[in-house]
Amino acid sequence: MSEKEMNNIIKEYLKQVKSKLPEWLKDKKEHKDILDELEEHIWSKAEELSGTGQPTLQSVESAISHMGKPESIAREYKRRGTPKYYITEEMWPAYLKVLGIVFAVIIGITIVSQVIDIIFGNIDIGQFFLNIIQGIQIGCLTTFAIITIIFVALSMEGYFPEDFKSKKIREKEKQQLQLAQEQGIPISEIKKRPVKPFIKPAGEIIGGSIAIAFGIFLILLPIPAVRTLINPEFLLYLQFAGLFLLIEGILDLNRGLIGNRQFFTHQIIHGITIGVKLASISVVILMMNRPEIFPIIVVDTPGATITNIGIAEEYYNIFRAIAGVIIAVIVLTTIEDFYKIYKAEKYKFLK
Amino acid sequence: MYDTVFIEHYFIYNKKYKNEIMELKNMIKRVKELDSSALIASKEFRDYVEKQETEINRGISLLCILSILTQADEEGLHGYKILKDLTEKTNEMLVIEEGTLYPILRKLEDDNIIKSKREESGRRRKFYSITDYGKKIFNHLAGFYSKLTEAIAPLYDINVNLKSEKYLFCPMCANKIELTNLELRFCDVCGHNIEKELKERGLKNE
Repeated sequence: MSEKEMNNIIKEYLKQVKSKLPEWLKDKKEHKDILDELEEHIWSKAEELSGTGQPTLQSVESAISHMGKPESIAREYKRRGTPKYYITEEMWPAYLKVLGIVFAVIIGITIVSQVIDIIFGNIDIGQFFLNIIQGIQIGCLTTFAIITIIFVALSMEGYFPEDFKSKKIREKEKQQLQLAQEQGIPISEIKKRPVKPFIKPAGEIIGGSIAIAFGIFLILLPIPAVRTLINPEFLLYLQFAGLFLLIEGILDLNRGLIGNRQFFTHQIIHGITIGVKLASISVVILMMNRPEIFPIIVVDTPGATITNIGIAEEYYNIFRAIAGVIIAVIVLTTIEDFYKIYKAEKYKFLK
Repeated sequence: MYDTVFIEHYFIYNKKYKNEIMELKNMIKRVKELDSSALIASKEFRDYVEKQETEINRGISLLCILSILTQADEEGLHGYKILKDLTEKTNEMLVIEEGTLYPILRKLEDDNIIKSKREESGRRRKFYSITDYGKKIFNHLAGFYSKLTEAIAPLYDINVNLKSEKYLFCPMCANKIELTNLELRFCDVCGHNIEKELKERGLKNE
């Protein structure tokens, strides 16, 4: 029997195995390694089966039948998750995370788009709430179905979350884990990763300091030439905004100084922050309703004098839309504060 | 070798359904001729038995692969040799589909129980050997499996000899401890103090 013929039979079998292997193995080099090893195995077996040490066509065919069906080999690669409902335990946290993020985005987009609609006067308040409820319902239901189907399929294929990461990142994570073990940093049971610090103190201190400085600037507005040009009512709004900013800055600074301990205090501070943020929304709403007093300060080039030209009437709606977006952003950061309160609970064991 | 293992090893022609090729796995694959009146000719029976035997084999073959790797020298073994040992040492009882060995080895490697090295001679084979961590895992699982087999033996009316003159099974976690190292004082899996057990066997001085 010609060697070419035997080679063809083996190659055909390996081709079938390759087509059945799960996608996450398609990291090309790994594929090649697997098929190389199988091929070596078939040749060794065929040599042995022939009895003469020289493979024959018959012994090659027999060796292949001993290997098992390509499906069985592929199934063995896919069998690696721990069953939890229809989604494996390994994929479960990723599933919840994706659902959470997608739901948050859908809720956010629905609310913002409806806020813009109501500002432009396209809908009344009743329609506003109806649209929000409908939008969230339809959006969340459809994405829930799609995401669930995707994760069930991935679970059946034996995917693990780390298969979506590059080799480099996986190696880096492995190193971090080792380092954490040496330094005695606790390791998350679920994620099998070292617990991230609750906050990064430097970021909070810098951010807080900037907010304090900007808040004080808004309260004092120490440029008399500009100050006299601004409507006194708007000046008052500005001072309130500055006051809220100052308080938030002080709270952030304090969290930064406390650092990764006293998690109950962190929760209290976040609670106060939520109050301050919600109060600050009222100032934005007040400003939103008075576009005519919003100052736009320009410098006239000829005389180098500064004047307040205000907003042209046709831009009032855009002004309101921007204010609406600012409110949405404040609401989102407030949600983040709620999340931080929840998250701090998990860190209390650190003390 | 070749006269006993021929191509039709896996495929048996059922005389009743002439052209239908049947694939028999596990124990019943030794049946060479299929009598149409035999229980084994029933697909329902065959499917059920095969499924259960595969289930039982799954965990056991993993343990046996680890056992073979534990006994191998530092160089390790390539896949083909592992399978050969597995077949020979189990008197051809434990036979797995050969191709499925490699996914099993890969998973063991992912879990840091075994490690692999490419053959340097140019052949595209890998040599597998057990890690220190893997040895500990194996000792524990071997202990668990031995104690389990001993415990269930009365149910099948068979005898199981745990060779207690050679091994100690940790009374707390069933870890299998070889009695060659007399310096041992604690089980290296659960930390249980095993001096009492050693004294009972006269292996430790007061």
